[in-house]
Amino acid sequence: MTSISTTVDQATPPVVNVRRQTLSGVIALSLFALIIVALATMAWWAKTGTIRMVLELCCYIVAAQMWNMLAGYAGLVSVGQQAFIGVTGYAVFVLAQTFGVNPFLAIPLALVVPAIVAIPCYLLLHRLDGPYFAIGTWVVAEVFRLVASNLGWVNAGAGMSLGVMRDYSGFERNVAMSILCALMILVAIGGSYWFLRSRYGLALIAMRDNPVAASSQGVNVRRLRFMIYVAAAVGCGFAGAVYFMAQLRINPPSAFDPMWSNVAIFIVMIGGIGTIEGVVIGALIYFVADRFFGEYGASYFVVLGVMTVLVALYARTGIWGMISKYWDAPWFPIRRHLMVEKEDRS
Amino acid sequence: MQWFDALIQGILLGGMYAQYALGMALMFGVMRIVNVSHGDLVILLSLIGISLASSFGLGPFAVMAALVPLAVALGWILQRAVLNRVVGEDPLPSLIATFGLSLALQNLMLQIWSANSRSLPGGGIESRSIEIGGIYIGLLPVIVLLVATGLTLGLDLVLKRMRFGRALRAASADVEAAAMTGINPRSVYAMATAIAVGILGFAAVFQSLRSTVAPSDGGAQLIYAFEAVIIGGMGSVWGAFAGSMVLGIAQAIGFRIDPGFGVLSGHIVFLLVLALRPQGLFGRA
Amino acid sequence: MTEVLSTHGLVARYGDFQALYDVDVEVHEGEAVALIGANGAGKSTFLRAILGLLPVKPEMVHLDGKPIGGTPTDRMVQKGVAIVPEGRRLFTGMSVSDNLRVAIDQTSRLGRKGGWTLKRLYQLFPILEEKAKTPVQSLSGGQQQMVSIGRALLCQPRLLLCDEISLGLAPRVIREIYTALPEIRAHGTSIVVVEQDVGLAKSASDRLYCMLEGRVTLTGRSEEITREQIGEAYFGGGHAVV
Repeated sequence: MTSISTTVDQATPPVVNVRRQTLSGVIALSLFALIIVALATMAWWAKTGTIRMVLELCCYIVAAQMWNMLAGYAGLVSVGQQAFIGVTGYAVFVLAQTFGVNPFLAIPLALVVPAIVAIPCYLLLHRLDGPYFAIGTWVVAEVFRLVASNLGWVNAGAGMSLGVMRDYSGFERNVAMSILCALMILVAIGGSYWFLRSRYGLALIAMRDNPVAASSQGVNVRRLRFMIYVAAAVGCGFAGAVYFMAQLRINPPSAFDPMWSNVAIFIVMIGGIGTIEGVVIGALIYFVADRFFGEYGASYFVVLGVMTVLVALYARTGIWGMISKYWDAPWFPIRRHLMVEKEDRS
Repeated sequence: MQWFDALIQGILLGGMYAQYALGMALMFGVMRIVNVSHGDLVILLSLIGISLASSFGLGPFAVMAALVPLAVALGWILQRAVLNRVVGEDPLPSLIATFGLSLALQNLMLQIWSANSRSLPGGGIESRSIEIGGIYIGLLPVIVLLVATGLTLGLDLVLKRMRFGRALRAASADVEAAAMTGINPRSVYAMATAIAVGILGFAAVFQSLRSTVAPSDGGAQLIYAFEAVIIGGMGSVWGAFAGSMVLGIAQAIGFRIDPGFGVLSGHIVFLLVLALRPQGLFGRA
Repeated sequence: MTEVLSTHGLVARYGDFQALYDVDVEVHEGEAVALIGANGAGKSTFLRAILGLLPVKPEMVHLDGKPIGGTPTDRMVQKGVAIVPEGRRLFTGMSVSDNLRVAIDQTSRLGRKGGWTLKRLYQLFPILEEKAKTPVQSLSGGQQQMVSIGRALLCQPRLLLCDEISLGLAPRVIREIYTALPEIRAHGTSIVVVEQDVGLAKSASDRLYCMLEGRVTLTGRSEEITREQIGEAYFGGGHAVV
């Protein structure tokens, strides 16, 4: 809690410590490091099927965390992040298959594409007010899908295959997928955490809680929003590049599938918007639900949809919001706690 | 001559889009809400209409007479049960709630009606056409355009002249001040959504007469409605109407250039408007 | 005199911030009561709490002796409480007559009867008739204030709440608006005037309450209270009752 005792003697200023880490945070951080190592070494201890499953989960986590940064912190609700997922996926295929770039080198190179594409998109879309912005992002994703469907040199509607992957052995591919999973999570979760604790992150939280006040405090709201939008595009692009490299095939309907937005929104809203913990919880729930109930197809999605409605109506802070009401032990502590000496309540 | 023909077809297509766009413009104007399930509601109503027609052997206008009151009731319930709880400064709750609703509706329809495309038998009116100066104009598109014009005119009159319209405009200008003047915002909102969805009752019949509908088609209808509203400029029902015409023309001309380019050229006109005239072609700066 | 409105231990908060502490205020039939105090003393909060714009317990606010605290704003209008809100809050984009028509529409819908008609209002503020077709946003500040008062009157209130109606207006316009108050009271309407201008508040009221930091610090008959007492109650010091 951020409250400090106000009954402090006026004459002697209180000795105050700023505490930024908590016990729960230290435990979570160690676990996080452990998970990263485990992910990176998957090729040596997991089966190919498991690796693929984990890779899919990692892609969902990244897409969800990017949506969380946009909607939960920057106030930009997007339903069209699949634009960047698809564009980057295509960029990898074009670089590797058409231009003969090493596919593993193609992934970092391809990340330039969403960054560049996001700039004009944002400049156009930020003119739209609140909810209209969201539908606008969807239009942009549709434009990308239609362009890809009509563009001869990405093989139009038929899509592309990543034949060059045949040059690598199964184990080599598994090593690459493992390391890419670890990197993705490190960048998306670790990077978000680092960013949120930075000067900019605190400004972002101030902006979310009160944009007017934050802008009067010298926070450049508009530039921060722009930066987040571009960063989220690159993050989603990373997930898209890895996902489609593992799939070995890409075509316009799968590349620009609105399903990505559905899943990201479900994960973040169920888990708890505006928190990293929420994304982790939401992704695990989605993943488990998908394994167990995915076979029910449409009825499964009806339940997901209804749950999303219920969260929006009755539990806007999601599962993590409900947990943290009773149990103040953040895994990714962001707030600075002012601790008055001798009154240390932790 | 073929471009003139495309222009005429575009205007007629615009009549269809206007029937989607009116409700969206109304809801956004009053509550600053975008109902993501707007398009799915059209499809839901269409499918209900098709089922009604086949079970009871109803003609298209009898279906319309049944669907419009149903749509009004659906809109009223939607507002009372869901949207009234999420109206507010923050656009996120209403977006998420209607987004979830859209996901649920789409998949529910998939279960009930399967993924197949269906259409409403029109008893011949869908294929009848009239020839004017060498151009064949379908009778149905003309009816669609006339109905769209009538709906726009009617909505405009309600907003300008009627007690409910004034209450609606007052609530959209300042909802707290409206309540201080005795207006119950929640019932005004419920009426607005009832009208917005009610108009979709007309749209559903025409949509399923002029082409086929399938459970997954809702997203496209939502996007067309949205583009029409933005192209036309927010703030007036005639803006939405005119935006629909522009969108229809853009798609028809694009389609003439290349069939794969029809929908895309509508999107491009939308993006151009956003870049060059963000307040919309007919909006106030 | 019959009591129209009374508050009993009224408490209100904005989130964690408590804005009102045990406020007891009474307004009798036909009476004009002034509420004075510095910026942030809780005057506007008090009006918002009465109008159901802040969550309060039912027994904290009584109308005609019945507990009505927390009743939604539109229902309060139905019960005969209208407000001239701070900042006028007109319906922009609509003409003067449409702004006034909204109130007429609602009172006829709610079946409230009263003596105020457009004609009488135009007699009170003749300029409004002249500007009837003008969009309200192109009126001067004083004219806008007249529309706001007119809109509240057409709700046929028994109790009229006026929140800072002199704010930002020229002295001549303020005089013009305040001379309308006796005319309004002549209809039997009780008035609560919230003001920062103490002189204006004293001259326009029978009794006054002075607020400081969410509490009532002074109450009494307006003509009996001295400047010194007000000064003390306005800026701090003990509670004084005259």
